[in-house]
Amino acid sequence: MTKLKLALAGGLSAVALFATANAALAAGELHIFNWGEYTNPALIAKFEKAYDVKVTVDEYDSNETMLAKVRAGHSGYDIVVPGDYAVKIMIEEGLLAETRPNEMPNFKNIEARFVDVYWDAGRNYTTPWTHGLTTFAVNTDAYKGPADSIALLFDPPEELKGRIAMLDDMVSIIHAAERYVGVPRCTSDREELKKVYDALMKAKPYWRTYSVDSINKLVSGEADVAQTWSGSAVVVRQQLASVKFALTKEVMEAFSDNVAVLKDAPNLENAKLFQNFVMDPENAALTSDFAGYANAIKGSAAFFSADLKAAPELNVPADAATEFVPPCSAEVTALYNAMWTELRR
Amino acid sequence: MNRHLPRTFALFAGLSLVFLYAPILVLCSFSFNGGRLFHRWEGFSFAWYAKAIANEGFRDAAVNTLVVSTAATLLATVLATGAVIGLQRAGGRQQQFATALIGLPLVVPEVVMAIATLIFFSSLRNATGVDLGLGNLVVAHTAFCVPFAMMPIRAALRGVDPSVLTAATDLYASDTATRRHVLIPLLMPGIGSGAALAFMVSFDDFAMSQLVAGPGQTTLPVFIWAQLKRPLTPEINAMSTIMLVVSIALICLSMAVTARGKLTTR
Repeated sequence: MTKLKLALAGGLSAVALFATANAALAAGELHIFNWGEYTNPALIAKFEKAYDVKVTVDEYDSNETMLAKVRAGHSGYDIVVPGDYAVKIMIEEGLLAETRPNEMPNFKNIEARFVDVYWDAGRNYTTPWTHGLTTFAVNTDAYKGPADSIALLFDPPEELKGRIAMLDDMVSIIHAAERYVGVPRCTSDREELKKVYDALMKAKPYWRTYSVDSINKLVSGEADVAQTWSGSAVVVRQQLASVKFALTKEVMEAFSDNVAVLKDAPNLENAKLFQNFVMDPENAALTSDFAGYANAIKGSAAFFSADLKAAPELNVPADAATEFVPPCSAEVTALYNAMWTELRR
Repeated sequence: MNRHLPRTFALFAGLSLVFLYAPILVLCSFSFNGGRLFHRWEGFSFAWYAKAIANEGFRDAAVNTLVVSTAATLLATVLATGAVIGLQRAGGRQQQFATALIGLPLVVPEVVMAIATLIFFSSLRNATGVDLGLGNLVVAHTAFCVPFAMMPIRAALRGVDPSVLTAATDLYASDTATRRHVLIPLLMPGIGSGAALAFMVSFDDFAMSQLVAGPGQTTLPVFIWAQLKRPLTPEINAMSTIMLVVSIALICLSMAVTARGKLTTR
């Protein structure tokens, strides 16, 4: 009898051992859902090789598309890469797994200013993927003047009137107007909002289009100024040297995309491995090189390509001010919607 | 007066053709652009085709699209043919009701159908753990392809001379034999067009696929859409051109099959 029990116990512990060994090895699958053209195939190949995991990458075009699928539940994805405000929403709605990146080995590599961020204070859920700026790019063949102020969008010189392509992004445009007239973000003060509204209405005839691919309008020659993201400007400038990304004297809008694990992730352990993996300087550099965006990992710039190391879009001067803007209150957002409707009419 | 009519007609027809096809021609011609940027011509090259074909995401999406569209087309065509033949026997009100029900995807906004289907599959997974994988997309596509496939088949049925069927019965053909040897061959051109229509609708679909596709199930339209936020390269033109050529080839194939069907039934 005792022999049998012993054998049984031995067998059980062997099974347990096998199970834990398996968890550490974490062979299996990982399903990533990321923005389009944002995931370096070399990064995925490296992860697959290091952990013997088969990775699938699917892509989305906006936080809202991703949220719609995740909210329905059991999407089958493990990893999503939400923008900063979307992280906040997802944590509040209980959609993310508390994977505690702040206890992971590579956490020490995160730049201090990216730890206590508004969307995930102390990093209990997410790790940084990339971050960038939203200002505008100028075709210097068409416009020789200075491009150091957001006033170029709101009060352009004669030759740029009607030659400006904006993003189809209500929040970015209204925040830009707030910076232009010098009022706080998400202000609910009627007087201040009136100034913002007037600035938008004055600029309305100068703005040619509103689209996510504003940078393509610059390339095609449909516009000479395009409100855009730093990473897009990097990719285009590498081909078209006349494209210059503006670093403005006004505070600039910053955004950050983050690696998050879904609460209903089928491959939770592999997802955690991936979160730790992307905090490695060399791996973060693979993402930056591919996407043209900076990352928040110390020592990563040493692994950048020569072009990215010297990229003016990434090397923001120390005295330049940038800000991440939390979502405005529902009340202010309602006012934004009203202004946006007028602008787009 | 009347003599001017054909000329006016030709003018409008010409303008319509230019309006419809010029953008497609521009898109295709820029796929041979040697430069890195969309819209800036820098010499002729096939490089972007090589790059598109080497792009794993594109290849996977292409395979998914072909698998889903082919499976959905087969299923939808069989179901639509069965529905048309079956409904022919039903009474007026029953027929109207069933036709309206099957035709729902034609009137309900696509995005509403897509959200409903998304919620349906996620509840199914939640409640039973059942996940058909790519089968989810096949089922979803089949559902909205059936009414499209039915339209030409119903038109073909209207063209069938009832006396032919009566003749078959008079010659002691059973119901099954009449359907198999007389009715279905007569419907074949309609079935061919129905299949082609179903394929195109499924191949093109964006809203449904975007919401219903799970991990590793991205289809071509969804894949291409997700690239738009980044600066475009002629790779996207090459991908679109490949898609266009494949769909034209398949339509030609189906037209050829339909034409042969017409010949044999005569």
